[in-house]
Amino acid sequence: MDIKALISNLQDFYVLSIRGLAGMVRRPFYWRDTLEQMDYAGAGSLPIILIVSLFVGMALSLQLTAELARLGLKMYTGKIVGISVIRELGPVVAALVFTGRVGAGMASELGLMVLGHQVDTLRVFGVDPMKKLVTPRIASSLVMLPALTIIGDAVSLLGGYYIAVFVSHQSGTLYWSSIRRELIFENVFAGALKPFIFGYLIACICCYTGLSTRGGARGLRRSTTRAVVTSIVMIIVADFVLTRILLYVLGFSI
Amino acid sequence: MILFDKVSFSYGSLRVLRDVSFSIGFNERVAILGGSGEGKTTILRLIVGLVKPDSGRIIIDGEDISEKSEDDLRPLRMKFSLVFQEGALFDSLSVKENVAFCLREYTKMSEEEIDLKVRDLLRIVGVEHAADFMPEELSGGMHRRVSIARSLAACEPRMFLYDEPTSGLDPVNADTICRLILELSRRDRGFIVVTHKVSDALKVSQRFIFLKGGTIIFDGAGDEFLRAVDPDIALFLNEVRLGTS
Repeated sequence: MDIKALISNLQDFYVLSIRGLAGMVRRPFYWRDTLEQMDYAGAGSLPIILIVSLFVGMALSLQLTAELARLGLKMYTGKIVGISVIRELGPVVAALVFTGRVGAGMASELGLMVLGHQVDTLRVFGVDPMKKLVTPRIASSLVMLPALTIIGDAVSLLGGYYIAVFVSHQSGTLYWSSIRRELIFENVFAGALKPFIFGYLIACICCYTGLSTRGGARGLRRSTTRAVVTSIVMIIVADFVLTRILLYVLGFSI
Repeated sequence: MILFDKVSFSYGSLRVLRDVSFSIGFNERVAILGGSGEGKTTILRLIVGLVKPDSGRIIIDGEDISEKSEDDLRPLRMKFSLVFQEGALFDSLSVKENVAFCLREYTKMSEEEIDLKVRDLLRIVGVEHAADFMPEELSGGMHRRVSIARSLAACEPRMFLYDEPTSGLDPVNADTICRLILELSRRDRGFIVVTHKVSDALKVSQRFIFLKGGTIIFDGAGDEFLRAVDPDIALFLNEVRLGTS
């Protein structure tokens, strides 16, 4: 891709991101579309988030218990599981699952609408596709990904509890009390901010890629793959950048 | 009046239209013919401002639309009713909801009024029995007819634009669509139909524009078109001659 095309694409992406977000405070509001998207993104993703989070929590707890037992520090399992899940793993795992299920769906649905001239039809009818298609998807991601992350965090901690108590034979009370001690503002804030950023990124990237689909079935495959891959890479990069900034802003020493 | 003044258009490095000029009145019945990739559909997309020309001017009702923004183009688009190839129905909505789309979007009609209007429009195009169907349950011909009903609900268009309305349809369905196109053009509302099927174009149109190599090689009435000696046009006319022989 030449530089001119790259800059043009970035400019289009920037415009979509801003206009999609601004659409939330400008009439008309597409409540029905937003609720439909929320249902698809939230209720539809819940079962997979529950399963993935449970096993991530159990695997993490298992790894930590095995290692901490060697050092005689098994009582720290709850603390480390709590910090890891709330600040880092919970938001990232939920975002990755969300990308695979919801982001891919957004890109392919919008891509198919482009190829089937449905987006052009909206424009001919005088409907702004940005407001009708992009804003509801951004809004639903901004609401549902944080909600899914909170639920996923809780389930991961439960998974960790199961391993700590029933496999590693630790005290359940100690596990929960050490997690409760980690529920301080800094940790909760760090874990709560990330899903909003990730949700916005996923929705913008997948909507942009979907709406830029060209070239039939092969083009649709290409744009869906690109949407998922770009989102995953951006989540990981954004996670590192956010972690660095949050550690600095919240006063953690490294 | 639609006026194209030396309009050129390219998709990337592929030049589709070269200095194309013509004018079409809103009450004319025009067929734009030509082979695949000759820029027929592009002309429709240029008329409603879905794409912008590389050079030249497109003037609709005295207004140059070539440089207009998306917001400024909205009122202009309401003068036309564009029916895309394959219908372009919203596949997440039922037939009823597709037709009601613009009524919900732009009017303050109650649900009962919308329901009555939708049934009336579906009756006009002859698919009232399919109101609760989803687009994937419709045949090709029904798809086009629902799409026409939806475009009628959108506005009171001054002109209809049809993109390959009969392609892929059996002769019976193609004939139904042709009759519907003629029916809708009765109240002094013209249309532009883009097609590569000369037989269908001859059934509905008075004026014929033929595109070849990005330029217009014929623009005239039906009888002149049938007598045209250009070898490219003659190839197209063979379809009709074979059909009648």
